[in-house]
Amino acid sequence: MAIKIPTLPEQLPTTQPRFVGKEIKRVEDPGLVAGTAAFIDNLSLPGMLHCAILRSPHPHARVVKVDVRAAEALPGVFAVLTGEDVRRWANPAYTAPEGWGGYCIAVDKVRFVGEPVAAVAAVSRYVAEDALELIEVEYDVLKPVPTPAVAMAADAPILFEERGGNVIQSRVYNWGDVDRVFAEADHVVGNTFRWNRVGANPTETFGCICQWDTVDNALTCYGSYGTPRFWAMGRAMALNLPTNKVKVIPQPQGGAFGGKGGPRGTDIAALLSRKAGGRPVKYIEDRMEYLLAGFGQSWDRHYDAALAVKADGTVTGFRVRLIDDQGAGAEGWGTISVAKPLAAFTGSYRIEAARYDTVLVATNRAPTGPYRGYGPPPHFLVLESLMDMAARKLDMDPAELRRRNYIRPDQFPYTIPSGNEYDSGNYEAVLDKVLAMSDYRGLRESQARGRADGRLIGIGVVSTVEPGVFDWNAYATVGVQGIGVPEGAKVAFDMLGNLTVVVGFNLQGQGQFTVAAQVAADYWGLDVCAVKVASASTDIAPPSFGQGGSRLGVAITGAVLGACEKLKAVFCQVVAHLMQTTPEQVELMDGRLRLKANPQVGMSVAEVAGTMLGRSDLLPPGMEPSPEATFVWTAEGRTMPDDQGRCRSYLTGANATHVVMVEIDRDTGRTDILKYFIVDDCGTRLNLANVEGQLQGALAQGVGAALYEEYVYNDEGQPLVTTFVDYLIPTIHEVPMATKDFIITPSPVAPLGAKGCGEGAIHTTPAAVLCAINDALAPLGVEITETPASPHRLWKVLRQVAER
Amino acid sequence: MKPASFDYHAPPTLAEAVELMARLHEEGVDAKILAGGQSLMPMLAMRVARPEVLVDLGKIKSLDYIREESGAIAIGAMTSKRAAEASALIERQQPLFHAATKLVGHRQIRNRGSVGGSFAHADPASEYPAVALVLDIVFKAVGPEGERTIPAGDFFVTYMTTSLESTEVLTEVRLPVLPAGTGWAIQEFARRNGDLALAGVATTLKLAAGVCADVRLAAFGVNATAVRLTGAEEFLRGKRPDRAVLAQAAAMAANDLDEPMSCVHASADYRRHLIRVLAERCLLEAAARAI
Repeated sequence: MAIKIPTLPEQLPTTQPRFVGKEIKRVEDPGLVAGTAAFIDNLSLPGMLHCAILRSPHPHARVVKVDVRAAEALPGVFAVLTGEDVRRWANPAYTAPEGWGGYCIAVDKVRFVGEPVAAVAAVSRYVAEDALELIEVEYDVLKPVPTPAVAMAADAPILFEERGGNVIQSRVYNWGDVDRVFAEADHVVGNTFRWNRVGANPTETFGCICQWDTVDNALTCYGSYGTPRFWAMGRAMALNLPTNKVKVIPQPQGGAFGGKGGPRGTDIAALLSRKAGGRPVKYIEDRMEYLLAGFGQSWDRHYDAALAVKADGTVTGFRVRLIDDQGAGAEGWGTISVAKPLAAFTGSYRIEAARYDTVLVATNRAPTGPYRGYGPPPHFLVLESLMDMAARKLDMDPAELRRRNYIRPDQFPYTIPSGNEYDSGNYEAVLDKVLAMSDYRGLRESQARGRADGRLIGIGVVSTVEPGVFDWNAYATVGVQGIGVPEGAKVAFDMLGNLTVVVGFNLQGQGQFTVAAQVAADYWGLDVCAVKVASASTDIAPPSFGQGGSRLGVAITGAVLGACEKLKAVFCQVVAHLMQTTPEQVELMDGRLRLKANPQVGMSVAEVAGTMLGRSDLLPPGMEPSPEATFVWTAEGRTMPDDQGRCRSYLTGANATHVVMVEIDRDTGRTDILKYFIVDDCGTRLNLANVEGQLQGALAQGVGAALYEEYVYNDEGQPLVTTFVDYLIPTIHEVPMATKDFIITPSPVAPLGAKGCGEGAIHTTPAAVLCAINDALAPLGVEITETPASPHRLWKVLRQVAER
Repeated sequence: MKPASFDYHAPPTLAEAVELMARLHEEGVDAKILAGGQSLMPMLAMRVARPEVLVDLGKIKSLDYIREESGAIAIGAMTSKRAAEASALIERQQPLFHAATKLVGHRQIRNRGSVGGSFAHADPASEYPAVALVLDIVFKAVGPEGERTIPAGDFFVTYMTTSLESTEVLTEVRLPVLPAGTGWAIQEFARRNGDLALAGVATTLKLAAGVCADVRLAAFGVNATAVRLTGAEEFLRGKRPDRAVLAQAAAMAANDLDEPMSCVHASADYRRHLIRVLAERCLLEAAARAI
């Protein structure tokens, strides 16, 4: 039976939705505010041990000898894990492409500073750290590979010797006749860009408690896990266990932003538990470990890119050469961030042809991992910076150049050259709204007055598309298999008519429990607080992926609605039987199953559920007495990639235009954000407060990438940024509260018309801020094409002017 | 990130603390004084500092006071920075010290962090040592031989090192009251609000008959300790504090600096440049305040 899922809120079985589309308070917040939500470090199990990990001080070295005898002899130490144990019991990390990962503890060599070389389980973390000091490791230090340039040199030291070189993948994608459009262009604007390493920094670092059942040979992991099933599968592969013998219990998490690594931490804690005879082992990654080796580093990129532009401002071609420093292999899944831009390669524009020339390189920096946006934010910084360069070249207003090239509303669904299909949008309406809201003309006038006074004031107007609701096929080009990302939910009434929604993930901060509760409440005419949302462990949860890829809000809406539709069909049968009519004559409206012909006659949802569980004699013959239904949702119509990587991948395309005004202090190089405006369109907004929270938070991370955050390495591959003293996350003082508004163009293909919006402003803000800075610098004839645009970097740029 | 094991003492009186420090010293025990813990606790957690014994001064209530005493403001070493920030007396009588206090970290840090602790820790990027040099702050310390006073010029030795003996407890910080009509300013450059300064300048400026009679200028965040910029101070003596003169003095101050330190956020050159910019801005601000 095909399940039809409502594509607009008006299609819900209610006269007027009370919760969907409203700014309701989040159901998960009371526990978070009161401190009763159980994060992993709040948990303690009987007999639990604590893990500490000894990490490599060298970026590249052979591990000659590890002597743990003194550590094992320390009172309070129960187990010490070494590369020898791991070689016997575990497998190297599975990676895409395959073969670019190490064991959870180095067995032969270390490839980055912070790579685990041994681990201890002891009665306390204090004793475990004392024991680490007693472990003697003999290293044979190798020549480091600090940069892609060194990595690709003919005589380069090789990280993974069995691979024969340091290039993980080198691939050129051609979409359309790129050479022709560049040859026929009136202008070609090009530049190089350097996006330095940044990354996710959740409030809570990674943590877990692992317990090895030595009788059943099974593993249970409690932890700060965002995608529990994926973790369970990965642990099974790494630790040689059947997947149904790995149980992952996700705890509420203090954020993730994609960056919460921890495969190594989990595997190490699991093997320590195995070695300690099955005692539970807790591992809480500390902030220095996280910053050093927590897979919280992403997007270390060297770009060389160009646009082909006609004299009238029509952009016809976009070519990008990207050398991406993946760090020490692909174990953090950083490769995906190179593939994902295919889902929105040409941004908001009708660009006829494009080329993407990619080289993914292994170096002795920490392996890169996912970060909110997973790749497009730097890509859009390049595209949007080139759009501004083109506008300057043509002496056009940057907003007008964008307007001229937007995909028009009547062109949707629109297939971009790199293959993805955008579902809907009205980019010009978004632009008009943000220009009006910001009084764009007034901003330009005030900029002109400031310039006359010698002030460096700049304005950025930047438009981007946020690919929403990911599919694995988007990452096929780097070796990820499969199509479809199933997300399930069980909707279950009890005998008294109370409703529970069971999901396969736990809280991470985005508010998906609230979304699930809102949707179910409006569907069944209940109060949102009456809906219980429960998180199930992987052994009993429906198929689920969890958070990631700007997807879960849409996916869980689809799953809950699908389950509701299934259950409604059953309830209609029950009521039809009792009322001696056919199910087609019964409808659900505002919490009642009623006769279409005579709406006064009907039963409440609670009465139907109670009848099913308590009066089986009244049910249709042979009916299962179960007022429950499970539905597993995935986006339809996803396709296999062709030889150029083209496929329908991400389901939805939200879009936004930001207008930002900055001022640069000519003496110090410091940038202040004076004004910030956002108008976006993510289709139906399921919860206004949730969406605004995502936008404002992503704006903060965008400001961080544009102005503050950077993982710095020296020429020897040593990380120089290992604490929050140096990794500068902007605070409330540095992040402007943007003035925001929106339009709604519902997605025709997504549940309730909602588009993925969880990554939000991080796609747009770095580009917007950098474009504003370069707009400020333009009269001086200098520019900056490296992030973050720190005061020191801008001072150096400004000094070029002084020295002329 | 857990400290190595240590013994912990929290003597209730200054006399007992001093006696304890002397005894530990005699026994060859490596002991460290814990004040507000805002710098020491992270250093313990990272095992950068690993004393055998911590002597916590937190229970000694007699070291928590702010009072006016014969033309000076006396601050007990264990007084919190937040208390100094909230003190109307300090704000009125010693506005430079008050302004410097507000630049230290964030409110949470100022709640816990002590006034004395910052001076004893002597972080070159902190504001207080530069202010101490500009104002001629005097420190009181008590050791086995009794109490002694140490002028600011003799207090700071090098990077995170003061002239306090390992058996001495810093007890009081004495600020002179700022004479009426004296101009003052403190400015710093940090990446974010509340960060340690990459460079900073503090100054006082006294005028007599429209010309500079006495200028004090010190830089922080650039060398191993805060430094007086005496060349610029001398240059300004007897000159009218107009924009060009102050700019010249600032350039002189920056040129006179020993090679500044360098980090991921700022090279030595950039720091030197920032001192010039900040010195000029500070001198202008101070001159505008001076009567």
